[in-house]
Amino acid sequence: MSENSVGTEGEGPQAAAGSEHEAGAAAPIRVVIVDDHQIFRTGLRAELGPEIDVVGEAATVDEAVATIPGLAPDVVLLDVHLPGGSGGGGAEVLQRLAGVAGSTRFLALSVSDAADDVVSVIRAGARGYLTKTASGAEVTAAALRVRGGDAVFSPRLAGFVLDAFGTGLGETAAADDELDRLTAREQEVMRMIARGYAYKEVAAELFLSVKTVETHVSSVLRKLQLSNRHELTAWALSKRLL
Amino acid sequence: MSTTHPPRGPLTRSPSERLLAGVCGGLAEHLRVPVIAVRVTMLALALAGGAGVMLYLWLWGTVPLADAASPVAPMRRALTREAQTPSVAPPRVGQGSAAARSAAPRGTALFGTAAQSAAAPSTAAPGAAASGAAGSDAGGPGRAAPGTAPLSEAAHPSAVHPPAAHPSGMQANPVHSGARTPAAAAAEPAALPAAEPAALPAAEPSARTAVAGGAGGGNRAAAAAAAAAVAPAPTREPHGPTSGADGDDAARPRTRWPVAELLLGACLLLVGVLLVVQRLGVELRLSVILPGLAVLVGVGLTWWQIADRNRPDTNSVPRVLGALALVAVGILMFFVTAEDPNVWTVIAAALAALAGVALAIAPWLLRLNRELIAERAGREREAERAEIAAHLHDSVLQTLALIQQRSAPGSEVARLARGQERELREWLFRAADGGSAAPRETALEELRAHAATLENAHAVRFETVGVGAEVQVPEPIVAAAREAMLNAAQHAGGEVTVYAEVTPDRVSIDITDRGPGLDPERLPEGRMGVRESILGRMSRAGGTAKIVPGPGGNGTSVRLELPREPKHDAASDAGTGATL
Repeated sequence: MSENSVGTEGEGPQAAAGSEHEAGAAAPIRVVIVDDHQIFRTGLRAELGPEIDVVGEAATVDEAVATIPGLAPDVVLLDVHLPGGSGGGGAEVLQRLAGVAGSTRFLALSVSDAADDVVSVIRAGARGYLTKTASGAEVTAAALRVRGGDAVFSPRLAGFVLDAFGTGLGETAAADDELDRLTAREQEVMRMIARGYAYKEVAAELFLSVKTVETHVSSVLRKLQLSNRHELTAWALSKRLL
Repeated sequence: MSTTHPPRGPLTRSPSERLLAGVCGGLAEHLRVPVIAVRVTMLALALAGGAGVMLYLWLWGTVPLADAASPVAPMRRALTREAQTPSVAPPRVGQGSAAARSAAPRGTALFGTAAQSAAAPSTAAPGAAASGAAGSDAGGPGRAAPGTAPLSEAAHPSAVHPPAAHPSGMQANPVHSGARTPAAAAAEPAALPAAEPAALPAAEPSARTAVAGGAGGGNRAAAAAAAAAVAPAPTREPHGPTSGADGDDAARPRTRWPVAELLLGACLLLVGVLLVVQRLGVELRLSVILPGLAVLVGVGLTWWQIADRNRPDTNSVPRVLGALALVAVGILMFFVTAEDPNVWTVIAAALAALAGVALAIAPWLLRLNRELIAERAGREREAERAEIAAHLHDSVLQTLALIQQRSAPGSEVARLARGQERELREWLFRAADGGSAAPRETALEELRAHAATLENAHAVRFETVGVGAEVQVPEPIVAAAREAMLNAAQHAGGEVTVYAEVTPDRVSIDITDRGPGLDPERLPEGRMGVRESILGRMSRAGGTAKIVPGPGGNGTSVRLELPREPKHDAASDAGTGATL
């Protein structure tokens, strides 16, 4: 918790407006909720839309690691702070399941949106990140999106990404495959997301297709996970992430 | 005595007119007599039993170097910490509390050069003391020293009130030169307990009454004076001299005794007297006197450093070691120089040295122990607090999140829960010592604080995102952003995003809401908030403000941008694809 995240929770309007699920009602998404608070698991379960089928729950790192491979859910809603294991929380679950998770995708949930929580879990492989204040509809929409292989970026996460990739210093990638920087287009997309625009709105604003926006976001997510960027490390250090 | 003279230049050592330390030069300047005359006099005095040498050394130690930076380290510092060359051109002490305070850490003396202006009168006091000493009155130096008391320790607020200090300096001297020694000697031990709450002006009366009592029963001798001088009290806040002056003590709440100066003066005086006495044919047992002095000074030094603890920057090790060495040497000398040494003397000497060292070190150990206990207690509190914080984080925060999740967005319940969560977080992340949260300074923090305030008053939820925004930015853009946030809270509500991005060459803050929208072309005349506080303010500051439709064509996005002075030489090709 390096940040005094004073009242800044909340998935932005982006997820709320993310009702653009692509024909989601076909088959319900199989979801496992991993959270150490019974009250939260129950509450979330009740809130999730009919597109979601909660097939299991886990309360600790070890339970999660034991449960998830067997159930093979589409999406795991993963709390960042989890007891058990070697103390690594949600990121540890991701690491231990790295080889066996198959097509399961992870969406991180946290009561805080401090940079260390967000970035560590994304770097470990989560496809997106929501704060726990997100409404059931938001979580549902995000789960649909993650199941489809897209990334879920909150405004906060977009801000972290821009910060970590040195956007403020004017660094721009020349080529798309450059892992350590964002291209100008990716930066624009991230900026719009940071301003609270949903993907569709970003697309309209930048005269792109939604699909292109999603491609950019996924590309950013990949860079965030794979980049060895020196500054990313420095930044993480400065935020006490490492 | 020079107290009858009108105020003149302070007594300082002259950096330009110097053979040894500039004492004669400074003295001549102060007394307005030719340098050569002073030098001759000093030389003559030196030949007369070494008095001149003593006087010179004493002045050297106590008088600051003219124009030396934050004046000169007074004797106490010179004695107790590594040599420190006076820095150059410091702020003049007399000019204001800020300057005085900034000089404080350097431990400098007050009568700095300052004195040119308002401080001049106050600095005349040392002059008075000096001239008293020059009068070759045997008791002069010892008694005059107290006169400088309120003045030394320039670092102190006392320096800020030089005019107030002036009368006391001027008057206290003559008054005390007669009655001073016994009274002060008695007063100082008495002031010991009273000095504990020294910072409180309330301590003043007690100190003063102590002085009075001391004057009544003042039968203590010079030895007592020496003991008192080394006692902790002096470094605190005795108000002895003020009793002689008419109620100006309120003007300088914290004065300190120049222990080192007193000590040195007393020693030199004693030595001088002894020399004279010996010359007159009296048999002196140096073998007793010297060790005795060493022990006294050593013990004094240790006790003094205990009292000096409110100055954590000083390194106390050299001074403690020096004091211990003095004590040990002194005690050993007692025995070694004794006639007819035998094995019992040696054993006794060893035991006595150990005991002496133990005595000298005792206060230090006591203090160490006290600090240890305090620290341990602090750590325990800290651990307890961390546990509470962890517990709250795991329970209450989760519940509050759940409440927000399950309540209608923008509802009263959600707002309450959010406010509670915010308060709890602020408390959790507050400085570990339980102090207040860090001062809000950076752009991001300012915006977040404002968002928090608005969320309490309106049905709105702000998401504040910053990129490189953890720096200070010009006030106008923050003020305009605040106004835009207020607008969004009042007219749009719901979800509002504040995005602040700071690059080396510009600051931009966007406030995006999903409200009913705002057409800048058709602003009602009365909307001063938008027209003046946002658009006008930004253009006056040299920036731009645009009001564009928000996401999806509804709502409002206020985009503020302000160029920054290029602090860094470049490195900012700003090709960051500014979207504004």
